[in-house]
Amino acid sequence: MSKLPTPSRASSDKSSSHPGFAVRSSATSSSLASRRATVYDRNMNRRAPDLALSTFAFLFSEMVQYSQKNVKGVQEMENRLSAYGYHVGQRVLELATVREIKNAKRETRVLGLLQFINTTIWKAIFGKVADALEKSKDQEDEYMIIDNNPVANSYISVPKELSSLDCASFQAGVIEAVMDGCQFPAKITAHSVPTELYPLKTVFLVKLDPLVIEREKYMR
Amino acid sequence: MAVRTPRQIGEDVWKTRIEKVNAELVTLTYGSVVAQLCKDFTNDYIQVNEQLDKMGYNIGIRLIEDILARTNSERCRSFKDTAEMISKVGFKIFLNITPAILNWSQDNKQFSLIFDDNPLSDFVELPDDGKAINELWYSNILCGVLRGALEMVQLQVEAKFVSDVLRGDDTTEMRVTLIRVLEDEMPVGDE
Amino acid sequence: MVVYSLYILNKAAGLIYQRDFNEGLRKLSSNDYLVLSGTFHAVHAIASRISPVPSSSGIEVLETETFRLQCFQTLTGTKFLLISEPRQQGSDAILRRIYELYADYVIKNPFYQIEMPVRCDLFDRHLGAYIKSL
Repeated sequence: MSKLPTPSRASSDKSSSHPGFAVRSSATSSSLASRRATVYDRNMNRRAPDLALSTFAFLFSEMVQYSQKNVKGVQEMENRLSAYGYHVGQRVLELATVREIKNAKRETRVLGLLQFINTTIWKAIFGKVADALEKSKDQEDEYMIIDNNPVANSYISVPKELSSLDCASFQAGVIEAVMDGCQFPAKITAHSVPTELYPLKTVFLVKLDPLVIEREKYMR
Repeated sequence: MAVRTPRQIGEDVWKTRIEKVNAELVTLTYGSVVAQLCKDFTNDYIQVNEQLDKMGYNIGIRLIEDILARTNSERCRSFKDTAEMISKVGFKIFLNITPAILNWSQDNKQFSLIFDDNPLSDFVELPDDGKAINELWYSNILCGVLRGALEMVQLQVEAKFVSDVLRGDDTTEMRVTLIRVLEDEMPVGDE
Repeated sequence: MVVYSLYILNKAAGLIYQRDFNEGLRKLSSNDYLVLSGTFHAVHAIASRISPVPSSSGIEVLETETFRLQCFQTLTGTKFLLISEPRQQGSDAILRRIYELYADYVIKNPFYQIEMPVRCDLFDRHLGAYIKSL
């Protein structure tokens, strides 16, 4: 079965998902549906109201449990959570860029992009700016984004047997998608660094692709 | 203290006792879950529906404690009361919506929830492969949540979607049916 | 306000959480704790049956010369037992807050299995901080 939709497909009774197309198949139900408002008619700049943190927490908790099935280790589990975050991150990047259209600037330097992530992206999806941005002293391809209270870990206590697992890998996935989307490929991992004041403090380690380092050098 | 209506309880708790996050975080995260399931089950949407229902059930059996803890609710006296609590308190607290309760059956054991607004399916379009539009219930997790949550307060129900605007229907409607009250699992001291 | 200990029982009368908040309390063996909670659950049930008033709840408050026990049972069958000093006021509010903490840091933890013993770091931490603040 072909998955590519074509506007002239007569076999389907429902409307095609391309309301902008003038060409219509003969079925009357499709022309009726084409007059109905579609997602494209909705105002995208509508600031969505807030929802309960509990809603996200329950959904995320179930995602963590689902990811535990048939998984062979902590790394694989973190990869699965990161994949969910990646999916979210791709869309957040698009949304954030379009909403900022007046001030939008294509980031071409690593530091600029990381600051964009720390402020605009973090605010768009997690409702706050990240707490700090640091550059590694000994590795030139490593940066660190720090969040004292990552939303994903709000209610999660990892048991001792899985102590190396960090569910904030979900948020790492968001960062990775944004960086990929802006042409700065990197590997992001989440590490828990609890302190007395911030027991949930997490460092997102950004390890840039050698390509990016080369490019940065060239642009200096 | 005057007795408060479910609507007042829902509004009050929503305003004062709920920590909030961006709605888009929930919408996008739920989207990533459905997308992942479609991938895992290679677009067998019947299975995706089942898995969403299962996940919803797991959430529901926990979610009930959260509602009870935040609202200090008493046991409902009738299934009609239950419906009110579900719509005005449950959905209000978690999704900031209050679906309309309509189409009660003669024996008062069945009702419909009509969703004018559903944060889970904001800006969603079903895949255009001809199958999804006939088979996938995008928000099916909600059916499982209701089933699980009510089972923990000794009500066995069946919940399923009968129409969805994402599938081209006029409304999004979930039908809830009371199968039976689980008398034997009632905690001691409750009637 | 002096709170001595907290016990949490699941639907099947199993003890899933026990914590003492005061130094100097006599420590029981873990088996003793289990027997204690099973016994309480049974007595709680018997009390509602033998009560002269129809449709009574189970034991809610037990006061002795040395302590006060208050039991809060949720609609789902989970019981929270708070042991505090005699004539303690405000146990209701304390138990409600503890139920909220339980709903947050235990129930929302994906690694916690319903009805199993509670071993959640964040719950211990927040509960301890709350009791200390009283």
